[in-house]
Amino acid sequence: MVDIKGLAEKTVRQAMKLGATHCDVMVADAKYVSAEIEKGSIKAASMLFDPGVAVRVFMQGSQGFSSCTGHDAKAVCRAVELAVSHAKAGTRDPDFRDLPYKSPGGRASGLFEKRLASTSVDEIVSMAIALADKAGDDKRIVGVNASVNVGTGTYALANSNGISLSQRLSSFELGAEAVARSGDKMFSGMDGLWSRRLDRAALGRVGESAKEHALLGLRQVKIPTGDRPVVMDPLAFGFILSSAIGGGVNAESIQRKRSYLTGKLNQVIGSDGLTVIDDPTIEWGPGSYAFDGEGTPARKTLIVDGGLLRSYLYDSYTAGKDCVESTGNSSRGSSLWSFRHVPSISSSNLVVTPGDSTLKEMVRETSKGVYLRVTFDSPNLATGEFSGLMMESFRIDKGELGPSIRQSTIGIGVVDMLSRIDMIGKDPRESFGVRTPAVRVSKARIAGSG
Amino acid sequence: MEDLAEGIIKHAQKLGAEFADLRIENASGTTIVVMDGRTKAMTTSVETGCGIRAFVGGAWGFASTNTLTRTSLRQATEAAVDLAKAAKAKAKLEFEIVHAKPVRRKEVYRCRERAADVAIEDKLAYVLGLDKSMKALDQRISSTSARYDDLEADRVVANSFGTLSRITERWLISACSAWARSEGVAQRGHASLGNVGGYELMRRESAERLGVEAAEQAIRLLDSKPVPAGKFTCILDNKMTGMLAHEAFGHACEADSVLASSSVLEGKMGKRVASEDISLIDDPTIPSTFGYFSLDWEGVGAKRHALIEDGVLVGYMHNLESSSRMGVRPNGSSRAQAFNSPPIIRMSNTYIAGGDWKKEELIEELRHGLLIQGSQYGYVETAKGQFMFKCDEAYQVDRGEVGQRYRDASLSGVILDVLKNVKGLADDFMLADAGYCGKGAQTARTTDGGPHMCVSDMVVGGLA
Repeated sequence: MVDIKGLAEKTVRQAMKLGATHCDVMVADAKYVSAEIEKGSIKAASMLFDPGVAVRVFMQGSQGFSSCTGHDAKAVCRAVELAVSHAKAGTRDPDFRDLPYKSPGGRASGLFEKRLASTSVDEIVSMAIALADKAGDDKRIVGVNASVNVGTGTYALANSNGISLSQRLSSFELGAEAVARSGDKMFSGMDGLWSRRLDRAALGRVGESAKEHALLGLRQVKIPTGDRPVVMDPLAFGFILSSAIGGGVNAESIQRKRSYLTGKLNQVIGSDGLTVIDDPTIEWGPGSYAFDGEGTPARKTLIVDGGLLRSYLYDSYTAGKDCVESTGNSSRGSSLWSFRHVPSISSSNLVVTPGDSTLKEMVRETSKGVYLRVTFDSPNLATGEFSGLMMESFRIDKGELGPSIRQSTIGIGVVDMLSRIDMIGKDPRESFGVRTPAVRVSKARIAGSG
Repeated sequence: MEDLAEGIIKHAQKLGAEFADLRIENASGTTIVVMDGRTKAMTTSVETGCGIRAFVGGAWGFASTNTLTRTSLRQATEAAVDLAKAAKAKAKLEFEIVHAKPVRRKEVYRCRERAADVAIEDKLAYVLGLDKSMKALDQRISSTSARYDDLEADRVVANSFGTLSRITERWLISACSAWARSEGVAQRGHASLGNVGGYELMRRESAERLGVEAAEQAIRLLDSKPVPAGKFTCILDNKMTGMLAHEAFGHACEADSVLASSSVLEGKMGKRVASEDISLIDDPTIPSTFGYFSLDWEGVGAKRHALIEDGVLVGYMHNLESSSRMGVRPNGSSRAQAFNSPPIIRMSNTYIAGGDWKKEELIEELRHGLLIQGSQYGYVETAKGQFMFKCDEAYQVDRGEVGQRYRDASLSGVILDVLKNVKGLADDFMLADAGYCGKGAQTARTTDGGPHMCVSDMVVGGLA
């Protein structure tokens, strides 16, 4: 068994001997197990062992990075040499100040679940089957594709300022897609779960939701182009927000004037009911950590407060440039870390403060509108404009959910979208790195084929 | 390495695998990112490892290791066979992998100048030059980003049919983004170029011009307006026709989607799915393209795949499993992002063949519609039969005249309708953008292309 903390510290020393002015090293030891279902039958089971090392070196602000698979001393030594030679070759960057120093805090619970590490392949296969059985429990469902993914990893991080930390992270993810057919009509429903802990109850919930939405979509309609209120499911709103806010408040994009939120600090960018926090300390949150990818302790950051933009998200480089403290948003990947990625700014868990409406109430109080459940489009962060496909959406007529809408798109400026939120749900869920309830946007441009 | 591979395959068979294959890889890649005149990151990644698959009666086990010793490979093999058996015990589907002719081949991707032999300082000078060319174009360029990536991977593929091949793959890609600001308006332009081969690609004029192309686009977009929303007849340029070929039809022609009942093309073989002018092809064998390969990641020789001929669906893209289950020959469409991902069915160079209209004639004939140029990204849900792609620029066309410039148009359509709505294909076929396609948490290098193409009833999403 490799002492990964010791390896990280030793590798930092090697880099400093070769002339680095600053250095951090992340050593990963991760394992992934998954089971996949195709058309209702178990199709494949996988197990990946993925140890590796990431070396980041600075010389006069110039950053060199190298990664290698495994923990072999020769390969790590080569990675150090490459990172140092790259830093030497790069341009000076006087905006680089320093890497983080040891600081208190950063104790987050609910990051690693022992049960997940000891879950057997048989159990994971059985869970995938249970998920698929639930999603396929109707004779109109002609196919179910599903997966269960379990990951566990131990990560050590050391830097040239004396930081030497380690944390264990686990992840549990489910995905299900049910395909329904009736006559010449075909539709699919999907759902998923992202967590750091085992959640057997979710198997039924996710499977049922995939099935239910596939069946709901069999009734189809085309609608004409026009302005309509849009009730956004957490799945759709979470996906849009992860980029609109998560990417929009990235301090690097702000400093380089690439974001539509540049210069908008303390200005209104949303309705007064909208509050968004970045919170890496949530128990079992899929984006939670004790310390970020540079060793800065996890902390909450208020981003939007009652519609006012209050903060950007920083790592140590951008914080140094703005003479502020890092918000601890240096990322080394998603739920589990990767030694392959150069650290960059990312939100952890974005959290939208719930309101007091239910999804049913939002639909009931919408006379002629649209319920948008799934989109995979992101806004143009330079302009803050959003136009995308309503991949799964339903017509709302006189407060009732109607047929699914074929071939239609939504267009709206992000600030308009956030400012026109007039109802916020009270039942949040995790969705693509965002914990959010459903919201209602009072008006958006809907292009239809009817 | 080859001896080790054959020994491991035999070990898998002894343990009970009905079929087994592996990919041993040694890969190294460089990335340089320059932002606003300074290096942001200079990176080298070195990847070594092996992925092993075992098949037992209708179920697969896959395991990977980052350590290339006989012991670690045997352990991974044992894990793969155990995983296959565990899955098989609960599988409802039963099928076998039909024997495919073994391939024993060595190939080194040709190049005049290995990227690995070019000094990092030379590569950096190229990227700094790109970045500088963007800033130099216009004072309104407010921020710039230039990126260069290369990779060389040595891959051994072996399987229990006797295949034993070794490929040295080499590719490069370069991309620029420019942000322009003027009177409170911000816009972004981008340009990219990629291919298999060596560093000679980056010494061409087209590679040197990427920065200018990105900056010119950002400046052009400053006076654009949001596109009006609604249903339009659209003339797609070569890049957007390629994106449509890839997103609207290519993914639905992947046989794994068909077998999973998640493609609207299930049951449509031999039927008309497009206007009779349409031929859709996926061809990994075109030399000097970003989607090129001669041997797929299962060791099957790559072939040109006709997917639609004269409007009729004539083929799917297959791997060993889908061809076995559908009773056809494998056609070499299986690819894996790296050794630690199992191979899945992927596209390569996907395009719609050209027609006999002139581009100018297509525009002249259009009474009211949009000319769509440049592709940002696209995606599809093959089970819902819907796709979306986003363009760089759109132009109003009114009675044959090209007018107002628009931005941020997203186009959506229905797979089974869109190619029936094609009104004309120009004679200016070209393979356009090199890029990456994502599927099942893996990326693959691809190229798309086609001629200018006129399509009716496209739904355009916009803010106006």
